[in-house]
Formats: sequence, structure tokens, C-alpha cells
Amino acid sequence: MKLLVDERDLKFVLYEQLNVEDLCKYPLFSEYSKEMFDMALEQAEKLAEQEFYPTNKKGDKEGCRYENGLVKVPECFHQPYRLYCEGGWLAMADDPDVGGQGFPFTVSNACVEFFAAANWALLMYPGLTHGAARLLQKYGTPELQEKYMFKMFSGEWGGTMCLTEAGAGSDVGNLRTRAIPQGDGTYKIEGQKIFISSGMHDLTENIVHMVLARIEGAPKGTKGISIFLVPRFLVDDNGNLVDNDVNCGGIEHKMGIHGSATCVLNFGENGKCLGYLMGEPNKGMRIMFDMMNEARLFVGMQGLAHASTAYLHALQYAKDRVQGTPVEKMKDPGAERVTIINHPDVRRMLMFMKASTEGLRALMHLAAYCLDRERAAETDEERELYQGYVDLLIPICKSMGSDLGFRVCETAVQVYGGYGYTSEYPVEQFLRDCKIASIYEGTNGIQALDLVGRKIAMKRGLLFKNAAKFSAELTAKFKKNYRMHDLVAIYEEAAENLIQVTKFFGLKGMTDEFHVPILYAKPYLDLFGDVTIGLLLLWQAYIADRKLYEIFADNGCKDEKSRQAVVASNRSAAFYAGKIASAKYWMTQVLTQASGKARAIMTGDKSPLEIPEESFALV
Amino acid sequence: MNIVVLLKQTPDTESVIRIAPDGQSIVTQDLKWIINPYDEFAVEAALRLKEKHGGTVTIVSWGPQRVVESIRTALAMGADKGVLLDDDTLDGGDSLGVARALAAVVQALQPDIVLCGSRAVDYDLAQRGPMVAELLGWPHLGLAVSLDSDGSSVTIERPIEGGKVTMHASLPALVTMGGSHAVWNPRYASLPGIMKAKKKPLEMKKLGDYGLSAEECGAPAAKIRMVSLEMPPERKPGRIIDDGLDTEGKAAALVKALHEEAKVI
Repeated sequence: MKLLVDERDLKFVLYEQLNVEDLCKYPLFSEYSKEMFDMALEQAEKLAEQEFYPTNKKGDKEGCRYENGLVKVPECFHQPYRLYCEGGWLAMADDPDVGGQGFPFTVSNACVEFFAAANWALLMYPGLTHGAARLLQKYGTPELQEKYMFKMFSGEWGGTMCLTEAGAGSDVGNLRTRAIPQGDGTYKIEGQKIFISSGMHDLTENIVHMVLARIEGAPKGTKGISIFLVPRFLVDDNGNLVDNDVNCGGIEHKMGIHGSATCVLNFGENGKCLGYLMGEPNKGMRIMFDMMNEARLFVGMQGLAHASTAYLHALQYAKDRVQGTPVEKMKDPGAERVTIINHPDVRRMLMFMKASTEGLRALMHLAAYCLDRERAAETDEERELYQGYVDLLIPICKSMGSDLGFRVCETAVQVYGGYGYTSEYPVEQFLRDCKIASIYEGTNGIQALDLVGRKIAMKRGLLFKNAAKFSAELTAKFKKNYRMHDLVAIYEEAAENLIQVTKFFGLKGMTDEFHVPILYAKPYLDLFGDVTIGLLLLWQAYIADRKLYEIFADNGCKDEKSRQAVVASNRSAAFYAGKIASAKYWMTQVLTQASGKARAIMTGDKSPLEIPEESFALV
Repeated sequence: MNIVVLLKQTPDTESVIRIAPDGQSIVTQDLKWIINPYDEFAVEAALRLKEKHGGTVTIVSWGPQRVVESIRTALAMGADKGVLLDDDTLDGGDSLGVARALAAVVQALQPDIVLCGSRAVDYDLAQRGPMVAELLGWPHLGLAVSLDSDGSSVTIERPIEGGKVTMHASLPALVTMGGSHAVWNPRYASLPGIMKAKKKPLEMKKLGDYGLSAEECGAPAAKIRMVSLEMPPERKPGRIIDDGLDTEGKAAALVKALHEEAKVI
């Protein structure tokens, strides 16, 4: 049994829900075909299973080592990293002009799911390199691109994003790293960055850092931040590598992703660290925001991937592990023992994991698909529409991916019982590795503020209106199938609850009670996520129902009994029946709570704000 | 060097296999198909030969259009061209019928060497290689775990109980691959390889293109008929010896069971 990604479900999202092969109609992707997508997916799965996954546990045990200012990654990471880069996976969806493979981002994102599920800590290295390379591609001078970018897209050199400082995490505007103009267009960089993923390691001979810093005399806060390219080794005019005074002061010892080096970086300790400005002065935050969509989706993918593999592991365990008697024979001590998948509580947990994982999968790949449509759009109107979907989806992908992904991992540990808590089984590692996703790349609290403070308000609420329209058009279609009516009714009520809360926030935002939307931004994001996943699962159920009834018709099914027999013997039928079950679970067990969640928010209760600090605890 | 690889598409070894209602075949719907792993070793060995001697690697396969993906994957690994014998009349043929058809394709290509897996992971008959070699009148070197060639002859190593044997033949010859994934370590298809693969030539052929028909290769020619398929019996659950016995008693009961029931001691 393959335990990383449910490939059938992934292909359902790609080909039956999003019809990704239709992207090949656009000139941008006319060179590609479904056959090529399938080949890429197959190779990704193979590489992930055979090379990435075997190093996952080893990497966790061995961790990274800091010695004399250098960092060694787990020894076993070197081979899969090399194969990943040689295969061209790092730049799968990038422009062939920069050495990329030009695939649709949706297909690349689908491949990421395999690699991420197999070994997230390892995937962090090329993941960060890619982000930095993209920034250089968009904002760097041709000279800098020539010197650094190509080797980054090929994976020969690494890359990072250096934002956080001891006094500037979520409050990035407070950063103190300085950039001193040298008069020749270059800058001296001085300061310390912390929590820098892939900041120092031995997978590549050079690492190119993108560093947020304040040019001397620039305004305080986020308006005075610029972004600089600061390589660990500069390339001189003869092509030689010259030390650039970037030093690693140590690495963090973390709860999870032990194989990913989280570094303290000191820039210019000896006053010899050179940086190159990316884009214009003081536009660093805008540039970061521009690059953030893909980075945040990538973190959402982490949550999905961990959920995916945790679910499949727990499912396999539940089918194997014998314990307890069937519930009907509870009182008979001599009754036969059954596998735990026969117990209702275990089934409920598996169902939660299944529906959540499938919902997240649809969510992530939809966001990727919208990015492709934005890129391939043939009119400004179309581009803006898809850009709007992306803007709205990204905080939901990041936050729901990480939070729900973590819940799925936690549930996997629960399914394993006591063994799940031991390091003998893999699920506790997934749980530890997954946790960071809700924290880095903008905490989920920040995501909620981004949604409420920026995205909802953007263009006078146009993004939200477009999303609501998208939802209404789909549900109108679903309602044409009478078997969907009950589920659509639950969804529509939940969607209405979301609209009500959105209006409520709009009104509060205009009064002196503007704290309320801020206070309840995160519960709002969660509600938004529940409803979005609800729509996607409903959409899937609609497709699955049609296909399932086609199979029933092909098999001449006339009654419930013959339908059940087909589901039991036909794998496609079993799959589609499972999709409908996921939607049912989500509507009846999650979306029925939407009205309560909405009510909780709309009480507007301010006690968390009003309670005196001393009253939290008398300690 | 002109190299041919005979490649078969088989169900993924991880697939859940179900017997079809006719009792003589398996349900192919919803199966995931892969390159027979032993044939994948042959692709790798062929690409290494090409790297050393230059020349071309041609993938020859048979089956329906779904096989195209497997051939393209081999092309993405680095092979140069493909031939797919997509002919319904091959259905119902036995190993010898398929071997006749493959021998005809090989003859038309006139290679220096033919490589293929020693067996396929579907029916595990291990007949294709030796049969094709016999039909061509070529030497057959079986179960190679290493392969080397100077361009006019081929040398392989093959494991035997407690050691290994080295075999040598002049070309043209047919070699079947033994060993394991760890021995051959077939390369992964890269994305640039996948991009290139779609532009590489892949010919669709019928039996008639080689002057063959169902009479020689299809059901009428079959000397072997599949009578029935059965799933292996389900594994019985283990037994825990307890019966309220103390440790000594349990040990005695275990010895008794191993001796009398399992008959292993």
C-alpha cells in the first residue's frame, strides 16, 4: 500500500474537478499534454517514495549539526537532493528561459504533494531556493541574474529569505538590520537574522540570501524596508567565489523538521558584507508581499502533505490492528477480536481525516490552478478575476492547511493509540513536523488579519463578492441533481452565515468597535475555511455522484442491494462512493456547526480585551 | 551500437489484483500500469551501453494504447525511439505467439543486442527472452547482474548458488536481466527527459506490417491456454498459547504444537 498520497484522489482533483488538461489550450502550455502530466506525477511519486521517504526518519533522528560555523545536514539528504535537482523538479513550473521546465503550476504543485509528504524537512531546501530565485528573476538586474539566478533554479546553489530578527518577527517593521550605501550602487549590510531556514548547510557550495534591511536614514516601520541580495560567497569578475562575511552563529533545536537547518545569521560582523538592492529602495515589503502567495501556498501544502500521509498510515494501521470485539458483542468476553477499523469511534476519526485531507487537497490545487489561470489569462478582466481568487484563497490555504493538517496528524496518533505516541511508529514525527506550519511564513493569526484587514476590504469587497458568485453558480448546478439537495441546503445555510459575519465585520469596522473584527479574525478565517472546503467537497460529490450512477447504470443496478454489490466489487464505484461520503461528513459534521461559530463571533463579546491582565491568573 | 529493449507493461506491484468473473483473467479497470521492473533494468543497461558505445536504444513493446505511457517513460529515461505493436489479434496468444511477433520486430530493426527482463511481474513465465533468442537463432544469456560489451561481443555475470558465473557471447545476442533494483538502480526520468520524449519517434505497428497474422501469433496459434486463476488462500491468524498455563506449561505447549501441528521441529 502506498502511504504518501492517495494518487487516485489527486488525479480526481486534477482531471475530474479542475480539468487541468484544458490548460494546454493556452499558448503558455501548448507544449504539454495530459500524458506528460501523468509521467511527471509518476516520476515524482517514484522519486519521493524511493529516495525521499527512506530519509525522513533518519533525518529526524540525526538532525542538523553545527560545527565551527558550518552546518551539516543529515548525511542521507545529499543523494535525494541531488536527484531532485538533476530531475529538474526545483524549477518545474518556471520559465524555460531561466532553466525551468514550464509546466503548469498546478501540476508542479501536485508533484510537491508527493515530495512534501515523503520528507518535508528535505523539501524545505529547494523550496526556499526557489522563492529566492523567483525574487531575483523578477527584481534583479540582468548582471545579478547571470551571476546567481541560473545556479539557483538548477539547485546548484541554495537560497533563503531573511526576514526575522530577535525583535522583529510578526512585527517585521521593527527590524534593525542596516544597509549602508557605498556610493557605487552596492550596500554594506550589518545585522543579525534569526530563524533562517536553510541559512547555512552543506548541500550546496553557495547560498544566496534575500535580506530585509533598512537603508540608513530610511523611514521607521515597514515603509523604510528594502530588500537585498546577499550571497554567502560573492562571484567576482573572474567568476571566483569570494567570502562575503555572512556567518552562521548557531542553529535552533526544534520540536520537528530536525533535518531542516534553522539558523542564526550574522551579516557583516567584520564590516565586509556586501548586498545588492532588489527593486527600488523602501519597497521591500511590497516585493515580499508579491512573492508571498506562492510561499504561503507552499506552507499550506506542508499541512496537506502531512495530513495525507498521516491519514494513509492511520488507515493502514486501523485495518491491521486487532483489538476489541464488535460493538454488537460487547458483553461477550469470548467474542472474536476484530481490527479497530470496525469500531465506530475509529471510523469517525478516519472519516474526519479523509474528508479533511481531500478538502485540503482540493483547496491547495484550486489555488494553484487559479495562479495558472492568472498567468495564462487572455484578458485583463480574466486575469483580475483569478488574481482575486488567489488573493482570497492564500490565507485560507496557509491557515487551514496548517491547522487542519495538524488536527489530522493528531488524529492519526489517536488512531494508533499508545503506539502512536512512541517513536517506533512514524505518525508522531508527522505531528511534530507539521506544527511549525501554523507559525512560520506569517502566523495563522497574521493570515487572519490579512484576510479580514486586506483581502475582504480590497476593491470594496469585490473579491468576496466574486467568490460568493462563484459559489452561487456552482450550487445552482448542484441543485439540478435531487440527490444533492440535502447537502446543498446545509452548505447554503453555512455560506449565508459566513456572509452575515462578513457584513457584521464590515459594519463593526466602521465604528469604534473595530477591535471586534480583529479579535475574531481567526475564528472568521476558520469559518471561511470550513465553508470553502465545504463547497469544494460538495463540488466533488456532485461529480462523483454522476459518475457513480453511470457505473450503476452500466451494471444494470435497479435497487440499493445491487448498487452496494457494485460498490463492493468495482474500485471506481468504491472511490466515488467514498467521495460522496466525504462531502456528507463535512456538511453534516462540520458545516452544521457554522451557525454556532457565526453566532459566537457575532456576539462581539469583548471580554478577552476587557479582562484585566492581572485577572488571567493570580501568579 | 544498435540496441533494442523488449519492454512489457505490467500492473504496478502495489496494485490490488482481482480475478475477473471469467476466472481466467484479472480485472484491469482502475489498475495502475508500470514498466515491468525487470525490463526497466534492461532500459538502464541499454542506456549505459549507449553511453559507452554510442548508437541508439529502441524500445519495443506490445499491447493497447495505454502502453504508450510506459514507452514514453523509457524514452524520457533516455531511449531514442519506440515501436508499439498494438494489434488486437495478439490477444489470446501465448508466450510463443508474442515471442514470434517480437522476433519479427527485432529482425526488422537488426540490432546488435537485445535486452529484456528475465521475467515479468505479472504472470512470471520467464519465457519471452529465451523464446525470442531461439526464434532469432541468437545466443541467449540469462539473468545478468552485470553486463559489459566491447562492441562485438557481450560478457555478463549471473549469480549461481554460492557464487557467480561469467558468460560470454559474440553479438548479436539477447541478454535477460536478473538481479534487483539495488543491482541495476534504474535512473529516474527527468523533467527535461519527459519534455524531449514527446518529440521522439514512436511507431504504431500491426502484425501485418511484419507479414504475420493471428494464425502465427494469436489465439489460433496458442499452445497454452489459461484454465483458471485463484487467489492464494488467506493467511490464517496467529495463535496465542495461553490456556491459563504457567511459563513452563506454555513452553511445553509451544514445543508440542511446533512438533505435532507445524511439524517444524
